[in-house]
Amino acid sequence: MEEIRNFPDSEMVANLRSGKRMDETIKAIYRDHFESLCWYVMNNSGSRQDAEDVFQEVVMAFIELVQKDKFRGESTVKTFLYSLNRYTWLNELKRKGRALAREEKYEKGQERTEFDTSHFIADRESKAQVVNLVGQLGETCKKILLLFYYENLSIGEILDTLDYENEQVVRNKKYKCLKQLEQMIAEKPILKQTLKNLLNG
Amino acid sequence: MDNSTNNMNEKLVQYLDGELAGAEKEDFEHELAMNKSLQDELDSLKATREAVKMFGLQQKVSGVHQQMMQEMQAPVKKMNPIVIGSNRRIIRYSIAIAASVVLIVGSIIGYNFYSLSSDKVFASNYHSYELSTLRDGDTLQVSMVEKAYRDTNYKKVVELHSLIGSNSIKETFLAAMSYVELGNNTKAIDEFKKVIAEDETANTNLFKDEAEYYLALTYISNKDYDFALELLRKTRDNPNNPYHKKVTGKLIRQVKMLKWR
Repeated sequence: MEEIRNFPDSEMVANLRSGKRMDETIKAIYRDHFESLCWYVMNNSGSRQDAEDVFQEVVMAFIELVQKDKFRGESTVKTFLYSLNRYTWLNELKRKGRALAREEKYEKGQERTEFDTSHFIADRESKAQVVNLVGQLGETCKKILLLFYYENLSIGEILDTLDYENEQVVRNKKYKCLKQLEQMIAEKPILKQTLKNLLNG
Repeated sequence: MDNSTNNMNEKLVQYLDGELAGAEKEDFEHELAMNKSLQDELDSLKATREAVKMFGLQQKVSGVHQQMMQEMQAPVKKMNPIVIGSNRRIIRYSIAIAASVVLIVGSIIGYNFYSLSSDKVFASNYHSYELSTLRDGDTLQVSMVEKAYRDTNYKKVVELHSLIGSNSIKETFLAAMSYVELGNNTKAIDEFKKVIAEDETANTNLFKDEAEYYLALTYISNKDYDFALELLRKTRDNPNNPYHKKVTGKLIRQVKMLKWR
């Protein structure tokens, strides 16, 4: 049976930054914050499904920001997540063109007291396209690139998990996969720019 | 691409991966500072690496998300947490509609599948074989077997047929039809086979097409679906066969379904 434990903010952020105990930490974020943030969306013209979608994006954005050292504890995790959630949902409402005057009025009253996170969030449509593009890679390429660049495994460790002759073969394969993805991104200049902005932002 | 460019590209990836050290790293950084196109290529590779990281994070969060939604007994969302903007609801509705259509179609197919029986398929395709109308003067030439068949006295047909040692192909065929009418599939199958064999031996086609069609139906009734399918396909593939149009795609599908039940 999985042990359920609470993390103080500092430990949560440290785990996300280092990439250690990620699953456990992300689960803790869900247990601690999902219901209250879900409530916000559902009380502002959203469905439960909308709330789930938005929360998932918020968690992704939060982890990215922590890993890029852009969350430095200026506010509590709860406040920060709330701001990300609010911003993401209002953007979604605007996109849908059904933001209600009531909400706008409500939000105007909140602007001064809340933590502004709008500048942290990349264009979600472009992010979605990036994810879709990587998803188009072959399974082997995806696996090698993820193991190396996301899981930070060494070539030797990757060799242990995949059926290749030696490290050089893995290295060559990884190189080809990276160049293939680079080419796919090069064919979509807007995505390339989004990625560069994320790197430099 | 020449070798030097390839080497440079590989070195660039090594640099990206933090695998260069010492003098080699310093030399490369010096080269990098001087070479704008190399800098652009490095930026491009960094952007690519960022894309991989973004994908990895999405996969990670998506996996936990699904687990947590189950744990919290909330509706579980499928993968692709970032669905492009306003398309999300359309996609969700489309999936719901598609699921409904699949369910309805599945229910219809399921109902048809489970309500289908060999008896039903046989009954909906079987029509008693009718002999052509006799003209005046022909009656004298009609055999006793044929006369009994015309009178729909099927018992008499099979009795006469077994009593008479040498029957014509036509009489054997009528006896086979009579066995079908009497529900004796085994005997019907034997007699139909005789008709086919005799026609083939004589290199004629007096009742071969008829016998094959009705034999196929008898096989269906007898639950010998493979034999039935073989004959039905043969009939369907021959546009000159008078029963060609009777063997529809639907009939073949139904027999296939019966086979899998």
